[in-house]
Amino acid sequence: MNDNDIERVLQSAGAREKPPREIGREIRGRLRTEWLAVVASRRSSRRRQTFFALAAGVLAAAIGVWFAAPRPGGAADPVATMTFAAGEVRVSSGWYTAWRDIVPGQPLAVGQSLKTGPSGRVALALPGGVSARLDHDAILDITGTEELTLERGALYVDAGFATSPASRLDVITPSGSVRHVGTQYEVRLMGTGVRLRVREGRVEWRARTGGIEQSETGEQLMIAGDGTVERQPMPLYGEAWDWAAATAPGIEIEGLPLTTFLTWVGRELGREIAYATPATAADAAGIVVHGSIAGLTPVQALDAVLATTSVRAVIADDRIVVGSEEPVLQPAD
Amino acid sequence: MASRRVDQALADDKQLIRRLLAGDERAFEAFFNAYFARVYRFALPRLNGDTEAAQEVVLSALTKAMRSLSDFRGDSALFTWICQICRNEVVDHIRTRRRSRHVVLIDDQPELRQAIESIEAPDEYDLVKNYGRSETGRLVRVVLDRLPNAYGDALEWKYIEGESVEVIGERLGIGTTAAQSLLARARVAFREALEKVFGAEAADIASSLEA
Repeated sequence: MNDNDIERVLQSAGAREKPPREIGREIRGRLRTEWLAVVASRRSSRRRQTFFALAAGVLAAAIGVWFAAPRPGGAADPVATMTFAAGEVRVSSGWYTAWRDIVPGQPLAVGQSLKTGPSGRVALALPGGVSARLDHDAILDITGTEELTLERGALYVDAGFATSPASRLDVITPSGSVRHVGTQYEVRLMGTGVRLRVREGRVEWRARTGGIEQSETGEQLMIAGDGTVERQPMPLYGEAWDWAAATAPGIEIEGLPLTTFLTWVGRELGREIAYATPATAADAAGIVVHGSIAGLTPVQALDAVLATTSVRAVIADDRIVVGSEEPVLQPAD
Repeated sequence: MASRRVDQALADDKQLIRRLLAGDERAFEAFFNAYFARVYRFALPRLNGDTEAAQEVVLSALTKAMRSLSDFRGDSALFTWICQICRNEVVDHIRTRRRSRHVVLIDDQPELRQAIESIEAPDEYDLVKNYGRSETGRLVRVVLDRLPNAYGDALEWKYIEGESVEVIGERLGIGTTAAQSLLARARVAFREALEKVFGAEAADIASSLEA
């Protein structure tokens, strides 16, 4: 018996069809989320079974403990809160659960996924003051208390304006993961590769194949599907970042010094705050802001807040120049 | 070039399931690599080539399988079990969406289905059929999908892509000798499976495909 007939059969029949990579990647991500939920559920169930076995032996003590134990079927602790949503944004709690519209302020737990439509965007508040923002046409899974998995689209992370120390956060992609060190960055899936843009601070890229790359402010890494990395400089402001600013969750400004508010605007727009004169800087530091900027973009908030002060600002390339209002000369009678 | 280590422990269905449920990351990779493409190829022609529908159905089938893994009793091969879930998902999809046209393939006919499913669980069977050339080619690819995953891949790499045994060993993450042995077993399994499904020897099937 020779192998020639096998070869003839296979060559005549042709190769089996390979599923599109994009579909494989998306299904893999969703399936992994389900798998993690299954494993977590079994571990939780085993803990409960162990507990009840003990309870049978020591009934009186067990009754007391039982009241303190987690209730079966209880919801997992939330690890994120939705702070902004626009357009189509849907949430799923697993494959048994259909995609549902997200509710403003909705807490989100491990095992849940978010999906944005063509016009949808959403921002999440994570522990430690970290802000995570999802661009349109994206899918994000909450796969751990310190882990998000990006299946499709782009995610922007801002871990720098927090009032408490930033939590650790790993962003998992099909080809590797990103870990930040107090920073602002965007990770976007592009075909089989990943584009990583660092706006501030430093991030670490850990390829699934084992390599580690670091990237710092003003740098873009193009990580191809085969793992090769290309570095390029990139601006910290401009259209590329507009979507992230548009989903900025805002801050509570009541009682803040104007300088703090301006620093927040500068960070969201990727621009340095430059005071025209030392006197202007001193004036701004002495001004306390009142009210709310809820629902406003950083640029809208800047206009709204400065309108109530004698300070004016002009956005010019990489800076926001802050100066005093020019005195208006009244015409002589 | 993608490399994939064949872990013998993970090649066994029950062992794979045990490790999956224990949270072993390598087991998840092995599960996905072994079943995703094959289930996709199972669903796609049954949904008239609608890739969007296939994506939904395959995701649903694989996640349902994942949730029910602890119920898998091993009466059939894991792939056969997942295909049954996928078959139900196809029917549900057609019923609820009414967008795709349900395609009944010849391998869905009871006799042939039994032959194909018997590839993993050999049974007394004798089937002699003469299919058209394209349908014969498709059935050959279905047979490849029903073999253990490493067998199907190794045969394709060797006889369609023309890879050397050394390269096949690298791609499977095993040594050259082990790859040679695996290829030999794959050829035997493939030959037997062809005879079960077509009721003819490989040389005759090759001739009908080349005619």
